[in-house]
Amino acid sequence: MNARRRFLTAAGCFAAGAPLALLAREARATPAEMAEAIRQVTGGAPVRAGRVRLDLPPLIENGNSVPLSVAVESPMTPADHVRAIHVFTEKNPLPNVVSARLGPRAGRAMLATRVRIADTQTVTAIAELSDGTFWSGSMQVVVTLSACLEEGLI
Amino acid sequence: MTAMPKINRRSFILSTAAVGGGLALGLRLPFGPEVVLAQDGTPEINAWVVIRPDDTVVVRVARSEMGQGTITGLAQLVAEELECDWAKVTTEYPTPGQNVARKRVWGDFSTGGSRGIRTSHDYVRRGGAAARIMLTQAAADQWKVPAAECVAANSVITHKPSGRTVRYGQVAEAAAKVPAPDAKTLQLKDPKNWKIAGKPLKRFNTVDKVTGKQVYGFDFKLPGMLNAAIKESPVFGGKVKSFDAAKVSGMKGVRRVVQVGDTAVAVVADTWWQAKTALDALPIVFDEGPNAKVSSASIAEILKAGLDAEQAFVGNQNGDAKAAIAGAAKKIEAVYSYPYQNHVCMEPMNATARYTADKCEVWVPTQDGEASFAALLAASGLPADKCEVYKLDLGGGFGRRGAFQDYVTQAVQIAKQIPGTPVKLLWSREEDMRQGRFHPVMQCKLTGGFDAANNLTGLHMRLSGQSILAAVRPAIVEKQGGRDPLSFQGVADAGEHAIGYGFPNLLIDHAMRNTHVPPGFWRGVNINQNAIFIECFMDELAHAAGQDPVAFRRKFMEKYPRNLAVLNAVAEGIGWDKPAPRGQHRGIAQMKAFDSFVAAACEISVQGGNKVKVHRIVAATDCGYAVNPAQIERQVAGSFVYGLSALFMQECTVKDGRIEQENFHTYNSMRIAQMPKVETIILQPGGTVWGGIGEPTICVAAPAVLNAFFKATGRRIRSVPLKNHGIELV
Amino acid sequence: MADAVISVPATAKRGEVIEIKALVRHAMETGFRRTQLGELIPRDIIRQFTCTYNGVEVMRAEFHPAIAANPLFTFTTVATESGTIAFRWTGDKGLVVTESAAITVT
Repeated sequence: MNARRRFLTAAGCFAAGAPLALLAREARATPAEMAEAIRQVTGGAPVRAGRVRLDLPPLIENGNSVPLSVAVESPMTPADHVRAIHVFTEKNPLPNVVSARLGPRAGRAMLATRVRIADTQTVTAIAELSDGTFWSGSMQVVVTLSACLEEGLI
Repeated sequence: MTAMPKINRRSFILSTAAVGGGLALGLRLPFGPEVVLAQDGTPEINAWVVIRPDDTVVVRVARSEMGQGTITGLAQLVAEELECDWAKVTTEYPTPGQNVARKRVWGDFSTGGSRGIRTSHDYVRRGGAAARIMLTQAAADQWKVPAAECVAANSVITHKPSGRTVRYGQVAEAAAKVPAPDAKTLQLKDPKNWKIAGKPLKRFNTVDKVTGKQVYGFDFKLPGMLNAAIKESPVFGGKVKSFDAAKVSGMKGVRRVVQVGDTAVAVVADTWWQAKTALDALPIVFDEGPNAKVSSASIAEILKAGLDAEQAFVGNQNGDAKAAIAGAAKKIEAVYSYPYQNHVCMEPMNATARYTADKCEVWVPTQDGEASFAALLAASGLPADKCEVYKLDLGGGFGRRGAFQDYVTQAVQIAKQIPGTPVKLLWSREEDMRQGRFHPVMQCKLTGGFDAANNLTGLHMRLSGQSILAAVRPAIVEKQGGRDPLSFQGVADAGEHAIGYGFPNLLIDHAMRNTHVPPGFWRGVNINQNAIFIECFMDELAHAAGQDPVAFRRKFMEKYPRNLAVLNAVAEGIGWDKPAPRGQHRGIAQMKAFDSFVAAACEISVQGGNKVKVHRIVAATDCGYAVNPAQIERQVAGSFVYGLSALFMQECTVKDGRIEQENFHTYNSMRIAQMPKVETIILQPGGTVWGGIGEPTICVAAPAVLNAFFKATGRRIRSVPLKNHGIELV
Repeated sequence: MADAVISVPATAKRGEVIEIKALVRHAMETGFRRTQLGELIPRDIIRQFTCTYNGVEVMRAEFHPAIAANPLFTFTTVATESGTIAFRWTGDKGLVVTESAAITVT
C-alpha cells in the first residue's frame, strides 16, 4: 500500500509543478513493503514455508515477460483445499503481482502466467488453505543485466 | 595455454565434448562430502582451482576474454594466492548451466563496465588462498605434522623442520577432501609482496591469435551444421509483413527459409555464402511502422529543443548556477554534439544453436555467459537443466555482446524450427552495422559565467539526448523517477564517475530525449561525450579568462588530488611548461571513470588547416592496483585506437528510420600508420577501491586532440566526427 | 481493441480436471513508463479476470501491473457438467472483455 501511496503523491507533486529534481522518488517496493503486502493477505497469521512450488527461470535477460507458475500440494476437496494463491515481489515497483481465488472446483491448485521482473530478487508465492493456514514458496531470480549496472548506481 | 582444445583453423570440426572445456560435460555434482570431478577425472580443490597429477593448475574464470586480458589477469590473482608455478597455469570457463546448478558458485559472469578484475579480485583471490590452505593441510595430514610447520611455494609444499617436500599434484586429491576454510577469515597477500600478480606477464592466448589457431564463434563448426543468414527490419520497430520463400527455395544449398520472431527472416543453407546469396535475392516486405519517417535531422531538432527545455533531470548540483550566470559580468556559451556510433566488432554477431525437445545448446562469443543462458531459456522455453551455453572467444565485444543477446535469441528461434540440426547464425557486416546497439546521440549546451576579475562563478551543463537505461533497464529509470543516472558518467556528484572539479555554482542536468534507435553500452558509455563536453569547454573557459588550460583547471581541483595527480603526470610527461616541438600543438584532458582516474596530453600538427597528424600521446592511469602493467599499457593504447577512430571517422546517421552506414567504406577506422606514439604512466596508490581499465582510458584522447586542434588552427570544433568538418587524420 | 483467445477442451469426462489457457490482448501499461520526451504514461491495466461455469464463479484473479503485456493465464477446473465456461476481463478505463467456450461432459 505504501508504495502506491508514494507514487500517487509524486504524481500529485508533478501536477503542482514542483521541480522535477525533488521528485526522484523511488518507484520500487522494498522487502518491507512486500512483507506488509503479505501481511494484508494473512492478517498477521504465521506463514510456513512448504507445499508451494514456485517456478520461474533462474536467469532472466530482460524481465519484460517471464513465465511463472505456482502449484500447491492439496487434495482440493471441500474439506481441504487451497482458497487462494498470491504472488509477491520484493523489488518490482509494487509488491503485488497476482492473486487467484480457487476452491474445490479448481481440481488442482495451480496457476501459470507471464510476469514482469524488474530486478534480481526473491519472488514469493503464498497459499491460503481452507483450514486458515498460510504456506509459502519462493525463488531467487537473477536478471543478468542488473549485476553489471546496479553496483555503480543507487 | 587456454583450455580451448588444440584446434587449428584448418580442422574445424569439433566434438561437443571438447568444446567449452572438458568441464562442461561429465561434471559430477557431489551429494554430501564427495568431491567434484572435472571431465578428465581430476578433482576440484574448490570451484576456482583444479590441480592435475602433473601439477597443471586449471583456474576457472567466469568472465569473458575479449582481448582485454582479463583471463590472464584473473589467473594471476588466483595463482598469487595459490602459490603455484605460473608456468603450469591454464584457464577454463565454467558454463552458465553449471553456475546455476551450483547456486552461482562462480558469481557474476558479466564482463563489462570495466568490472572483470575490480569486482571479482577479492573472491577469486580467496579461492586461490583457500586452495593453498587445503593443499598444505593435506600434505601436513599425510606427514602427520602441524600445517603451521609447512610452507607452500611454487607448487611445492615443504615441511620446514624436516625438509620433506611434496608436489601439489601429489596431494590434490586429498586436498579436495579437506574442509574448506571460512573465506572471510583468509589473509590475502599485500600487493607489495606480489610475485605473479602485478607483473607484466605474457597473456595466454597471444600466440594462438597471431598464428591463426584461435577459434572464434565466426570459425566454429559442428558436424552436420547448417548456416543461416538473417535480415531484421532495418527500420527499428518494424515487423515482417510477408516474404516469398518460393523465389529462393530452389537456389543452390538452400534448405529452409524461416521467419525469426516478429521482425526478421533467415535463410538456412549448406554454406553461409549460399544462405546470404539467397537472402539477398529473397523478396521481403516489412511493415515499417511510424518510425520510417525519422531522420538524423528530425532527431537533431528534438535534441536542440531539449537544450532550452524547462524540465530536465538533475545529475549534479551545488549552489545556484543559473543565478550566478545571470549575474555574471561575462558569459561564455557553447553547444556541442555527439553522434550515434556502432561498436564495429571485427567479428560480426553470431551464435550456433542446436535444439531438441530434450536439450538446447548454444555456442557463442559472449561477454556474459549467463545473459546468453537467460536468452536461451526464454527462446527455447526449456527448463534450465535442459539448456547449456558454451562460451567461445570473442573477436571484439566493447559492450555489444554483454547486455544484448539478440543473436542468441535468433539462433535458438531458427534452430527450434529445425530440431536436431545445429545451425550457425552469422550476421553479415551490413546486418551488424544496421542492427547495432548504438552509442546514444547527445547534444550539450554549456554556459559559464565569470566575474569582473575573470573568476568562474557558475557553470551550467545541459545535456539533451538519449538515455541508454530508459531502453535497456527501464526499472532503474523508474526507480529514479524518470532520471537516468548513467547519463552523468564522468560528471556525477559522487561515486565511480564523479566529476573532477569543484565549481562554486554548478548545475548539470539532462533533458531526456529518447528515439526509436536502440541504444547500447559503447566502450566507455557516456564518458565519451561527457569528456568532450566538459574538457573542451574547460579549455574554452580558460581561453576566455586568458589563462593556461592546465593552470585554469588546477584552480578547481584542490579537493581532487587523484585527478590532479594524473593531470600533472601527463602535463609533465608531455613537457607542458616547455615549448612544443616545431609545428606541434598540445591539448590535455582528465576524467574519473569506472573508479579510475585518467588523463591524456597529446601533441599534434595540422597541415593545410585540416590534415591532422597525432604525433604523441602521454596517458596517465590511476587504477589503484595494477594486476598486469603490460596489459594496461596495451589497453590504454588500444582504447585510443577505438576513441580516435570514433573522433575522426565514425558516425551512424539515420535516414528513413534506418541506419545509413553499412560497411567500412562509410564507417572507417584508423590504420597503423596513423597511430601515434603512446607513453603510459601507471599510478598505483593502492587503497580500498580497485579501478577499471577496459573503458576509462578511452575518453581523454578525443578532447585532448580537439583542444590541441584549437591551439593549432584557432578553430573550435564542437561536433564529431571530424570528417564532417573536412578534417582528416593522416 | 482487445481480443481474447481461449483454449478449453471441447469434451471431458465428468470429474476430470481440465486445463484452461486464456489470453487477452492488452498493453498492460504499468503507470511507470515514460514517453520519448519523458512524460509519465498513466496506468491502464486489466484488473480482474473471472471464470464462470454455467453461471457459477469457479476462479477469480486479480492482476497487478507486474502482469506482462497480453496477459496469459492458465488454471484448472473440474469438468462437472456440459454447458458454457465463460470468461470476463475488466480493467481501467471501463474495459470489459468477454469470451466463452462450450464443453460437453460425459
